[in-house]
Amino acid sequence: MPPDRREVLDYAVKGLVLALATLALLPVVHLIGEAVVRGGGVILEAGVKFFTETPPPPGGRVYGILTSLVGTLELAAISAAIGIPVAFMAALLAVEFPSSLPGRLVRILSRTLLEVPTVIVGMFVFVALVEPMGTSSILAGAVALSLVMLPYVATYVESALRSVPHSYKEAGYAIGMTRAQVAFRVIVPIARRGIATGFLLGLAKALGETAPLLFTLGRARNALNLNPLGPGDAIPLLIYDYAMAPYENMREVAWGAALVLIIILLALQIVARFTAKEVRI
Amino acid sequence: MPGIPREDRLYYYSLVPFAYIILGALALLLAAIIWKSTPALEEYGISLYVTNKWKPLEDRPGEYGLLAAIYGTLASTVIAVALALPLSLSLVVAVEELVPGRIREALVFMSDVAAGLPTVVFGLWGIDVLVPFLRDHVMSPLHERLGFIPLFSCRPLSGASLLAAGILLAFMITPFMFALVREAYRMIPAHLREAAVSVSAAWYQYVKLMLGMIKPAIVAALLLGFGRAAGETVAVSLVVGNSFSLTACLFAPAYTISALIANQFGNAAYYPLMPEVLFAGGLLLLLIGLALNWVGVSMMDRVRSLAA
Repeated sequence: MPPDRREVLDYAVKGLVLALATLALLPVVHLIGEAVVRGGGVILEAGVKFFTETPPPPGGRVYGILTSLVGTLELAAISAAIGIPVAFMAALLAVEFPSSLPGRLVRILSRTLLEVPTVIVGMFVFVALVEPMGTSSILAGAVALSLVMLPYVATYVESALRSVPHSYKEAGYAIGMTRAQVAFRVIVPIARRGIATGFLLGLAKALGETAPLLFTLGRARNALNLNPLGPGDAIPLLIYDYAMAPYENMREVAWGAALVLIIILLALQIVARFTAKEVRI
Repeated sequence: MPGIPREDRLYYYSLVPFAYIILGALALLLAAIIWKSTPALEEYGISLYVTNKWKPLEDRPGEYGLLAAIYGTLASTVIAVALALPLSLSLVVAVEELVPGRIREALVFMSDVAAGLPTVVFGLWGIDVLVPFLRDHVMSPLHERLGFIPLFSCRPLSGASLLAAGILLAFMITPFMFALVREAYRMIPAHLREAAVSVSAAWYQYVKLMLGMIKPAIVAALLLGFGRAAGETVAVSLVVGNSFSLTACLFAPAYTISALIANQFGNAAYYPLMPEVLFAGGLLLLLIGLALNWVGVSMMDRVRSLAA
């Protein structure tokens, strides 16, 4: 008996779907493999110097990423210090007073901010901070990153706060707590893991960004500067510049830096997900 | 504010400023972009958006027209969305209907990882791996065999081109569109799922029915993916070739608005009105992005509320 036409078609469609699904994920696998092999090779070759020396001059041998690694850590601290409190309080407002005008504004605004192309955030901070200050700075870069981070953190925190069952809040009100007391002694402690997850995922999102830093951070690559009012560097910016460099040693450094960045961000995301999984009261 | 008991007012009023901080930041951002674009719009008018010119001058305003960059943005984004749609739908169907639990988790995890990878790393992979691969194994053969078709009519040089940008963007937005479509797919209620099984004589008919049920979510994912791809900057500027060409050929180096800003804004201050021209490009990008996302997000909201 010849096979049914529908059966043949079924196999064909299933095969096509599986092939396309594989193709969709193939680049990520190849990208990470390439970063591990190529970047890992560079880091192994340079050893600890990859983390303790400044980047290389054109040509010659491979040097390290000290300035941009320190810069990324400093950016993380400052942008989190600016972005996270605002995002957290705004999310609390949106959950606690959802029908008030400011409460509704938070959701609309953070959604809008989420969709502003990040290169435009960079242009804005250039006008708002770099031009008036007369110099690019770590602070300007951190402000740009905090604007990128804010809507993500606000959205995650909002859903974490919203997930606390109403009965817990009512128990608080029943013993005479005010709304503020219920918020900070009942809702926030119960949702704390979800909130921490939101902080980490927002931070990971911001630290991988390049476009907001292009015109704000400067490229203080050859000497370490810790002063937030002066120019700095960051790993994504280093990768971007060196990816275009015509010198082999700079491209090697770019791949090594890419592996470091991938590891930092994956670690943040994995910690965030494990934190989230344990949310049980 | 009425409706809030007196003992809670302090709490409310101490939270309110944070909403206005965000409002203020966003309003300042819009105002700054509009304010900075105005001189360019006054000088060049609509021709800024409908002509292709780039002649910077140092002593007086040069001649500028952003058409090539606008065309490049639209073309690379259309390629990206057209490729990402079948990829992300296949991934949803594979994950939800075809593969066993373990592999499903692995695939979803990989997609999450892909969504979280920094775009500049995609760009680095694009310039070092994807572009040479496409040049040698896709563009050159197509040009040699089908060079009479305008899309393939030019000889690929480095390989950095509209096609490379579109394909790289497709890989970057696929995990994002996958997550949106999968969310909707999982919301299809069991009775509709069973109904689809019962009226389908074959598996592919069932899948077609299932995907038909979440059409609004698929359209929303398309729009949101389009908005995301149009605004993407660093990965694209690494692989698009950065040249003001306006040709139908997909293998020619091109520009996008965001790549133009990334490349030129840093030194634009030396040329009168060039920063303002780039701000006007940014304004267009912002408006396109916000409009698309507004429609996309409200469609996705409708999907979620229908399911709830």
